[in-house]
Amino acid sequence: MMSQSLTVSASSRKLRRSLPWRGIAIWVIAALWIAPVVWIIATAFKPRADVYSLAVLFTPTLDSLLSAFDSPYLLGARLLNSLLVTAGTLVMAIPVATLAAYAFSRFRFPGGQVGPLLLLATQFLPPVIIVIPLFVVFRHLDMLDTPWALMIANLSFVVPYATWMIKAFFDALPPDMEEAAQIDGASRLRAMWDVVVPVALPGIATASIFCFVVSWNEFFYALVLTRENAVTLPVALMSARTEQGDAWDIMASMGLFIIAPMLLISRFVQRYFVRGLVTGAIR
Amino acid sequence: MASVKLIDIEKRWGDVVGVARQCLDIADGEFMVFLGPSGCGKTTTMRMVAGLEAPSSGEIWIGGRDVTDALPKDRDVAMVFQNYGLYPHLTVAENIAYPLKVRGLGRAERAARAREVADKVELAHLLDRRPRDLSGGQRQRVALARAIVRKPQVFLMDEPLSNLDAKLRVSMRAEIRRLQNELRITTIYVTHDQIEAMTLADRVVVMRGGVIQQVGTPTEVYNRPANLFVASFVGSPPMNLLPAQARGGVLEVCGTVVRDLTGPEGQALVLGVRPEDIGLVAAGQGDVDADVYLCELTGDAVLVTLEIGQTRLCVRGDRHLRFDIGQRVGLTLPRAHCHLFDANTEARIEA
Repeated sequence: MMSQSLTVSASSRKLRRSLPWRGIAIWVIAALWIAPVVWIIATAFKPRADVYSLAVLFTPTLDSLLSAFDSPYLLGARLLNSLLVTAGTLVMAIPVATLAAYAFSRFRFPGGQVGPLLLLATQFLPPVIIVIPLFVVFRHLDMLDTPWALMIANLSFVVPYATWMIKAFFDALPPDMEEAAQIDGASRLRAMWDVVVPVALPGIATASIFCFVVSWNEFFYALVLTRENAVTLPVALMSARTEQGDAWDIMASMGLFIIAPMLLISRFVQRYFVRGLVTGAIR
Repeated sequence: MASVKLIDIEKRWGDVVGVARQCLDIADGEFMVFLGPSGCGKTTTMRMVAGLEAPSSGEIWIGGRDVTDALPKDRDVAMVFQNYGLYPHLTVAENIAYPLKVRGLGRAERAARAREVADKVELAHLLDRRPRDLSGGQRQRVALARAIVRKPQVFLMDEPLSNLDAKLRVSMRAEIRRLQNELRITTIYVTHDQIEAMTLADRVVVMRGGVIQQVGTPTEVYNRPANLFVASFVGSPPMNLLPAQARGGVLEVCGTVVRDLTGPEGQALVLGVRPEDIGLVAAGQGDVDADVYLCELTGDAVLVTLEIGQTRLCVRGDRHLRFDIGQRVGLTLPRAHCHLFDANTEARIEA
C-alpha cells in the first residue's frame, strides 16, 4: 500500500494537485465570456423596472421584445434587412470569390502575383475613405438606403477576403484530379464544379461562415448608406439611444437577434473550420 | 484506336527548353514507352499529347485529326496519373463511371459498365469504398478501370507503377501488358524504369534533355544502342564503357591491343561491352587481363568488378564463380557484342 502510493510519479502528482486550479481557471474564463451573453438574454426578458437593477430573480416578460418589434424600433423589418443584405452578399460573393480564387491559383497571369496582391491591398484602405465616393455614387444612382447599396459595399471587403481564403485551399489541392476530369471529358468549368469544389468544400464553407459573420455585423457602411428603409440590425441598435435615455431593454432584445444566428452556426463553424484547417494542412 | 503523330513539337518556358523540336510516329495499337531520366521531357511530351500542356510550336495528330489546339476533353484520350488522380469524394464505382457520366450516359448503363470493368481489374468487391480506404495497388486499379471504361483512341500512362512496392509492380506490369494486348488500344507509357520499358514496349523512345536519343524495339535499343547515353541508360548493371583507340588496324583498349577489332583511326573511341557478354578465363588467355576489385553474389549471378589500370568494369558471371580480391583474370570480348562509339559525338560507329 505504502510502496504503491510512493510509486505515483511526480508529474502525475503535480497534475492532480493543479487540477482544481485548472478547473477554476476554465470556469472563470468561460464565465467572463458567457456572462455578457447571459446578461443580454436576461435583460431582454426583464420587466422594464428591473432593467437597471442587478436583480437576478425576476418575472420574465415579453414586453420589451414586443415593443422592439413595434414602431419606432421595427425590429422585424430591420431583421429582414439584415438577412437580405447578408444573404445577398454571400450569394454574390462566394461564387465570384471561388472562380477568382481558382483563376489565381491555377493560371499564370502577366505580372505573377500582382493580381492577388492588388486585391489584398484594397483591404488596407480605411473604410472611411471608401465610403465617401460610395455615398456619392449611390446617391447619383438613386440607390441610397437600399439593400443593394449595402450588398455592393459589403462585396468590397467580402470578395477579397473570401478569394484569399479559398485560394489557399485550392493551392493545397494537387492538380491531378481536375486534369483527370478534363481528360475524362469534362470542360475546365465542369471539372471545377465536379471535382475541385466538392473537395474544397470545407474551405469554401469556412470562407462563407467568415463572410457571413463580417457582413452580419457590418456597421459602418450601413450607418452611412442607410436612413430608414434599409437599416440593418447593428444600426438599429443605435436607434434605441433616444432623448429619453438609452433603452437597454430594447437594445437587449435586438442583441438577442444579432447573437442568435451566431449561436446557431457556431456548431457548423466548429465542424467545418477544424476540418477546413486540417484538410488544408495535411494531404 | 488511332495512330499518333508528333510533328516538330517543341515546348519551352522562357529560356528553358522542355522538349526540343521532336518528331515521332506511333502506329495504331502500338505500345510505345517513353524512357529517360527525370527532367528529360518524356512527361511533358505525354502531357502535350493529352492536351494538358500546349506545345510552343509543332503539331499533334491523333487518328488523322489535328488536335494541336483541341481541349483535353475533345481528344478522346484516357490517362493514368502517377498519383492516380482519383476523385476523393466519389466512391470507386462513381470514379470509374465518371467519364461516362460526363458523356451523359444513363445511371443504369453507367453502373453496369463500371461493374463490368471493375470485374476485369478485380475491383468488384470494392465498388462502394472511397479511394482513401484503398491500398496503393487498388487505387492504381481504379485509375486503370476509369481509363478503360470507355474505349479511348489513346491510353496515356504517366509512371503508373512508381508508387507501388516492387512485388506489386511486377504483377501490375503484367496486368497492364495483358490489358493492352486484349484491347489493342494505342498506348503511350512514360517511365524512368528501363525494366518496365523493356518488358512492356512494342517500341521504346529513349529521351534525354528534351531530345529523342533512339526509337526502336526493346531488342534494338538493347542490342544496338544509338549512342553512349542509350548504352549506359538501358541495362542493369549498365554497359561497360572503355576508352579505346584504333591504331595500325587493331584496337587498343586500356593500353592492351585487342585483335580482330578495329575502328576509325586518329580519334578517341569508346568500346562498349555488356557485363553479361564478357567471358572470364584464366589470366593471359583472354583479350585483356584485369584484377578483381570486388565480387558480389546477387543470387542468380555473380557480379565481378574488375580493374584494368584506372578503369573499372563489371562482368556478370555464373553464380558458382568465386574470385579473391586482387586476383588476376583474363577477359574475352565476343566481337559480335562489342559496340564502338565516337568519344566526342557519343554516336554509335557502325562496323
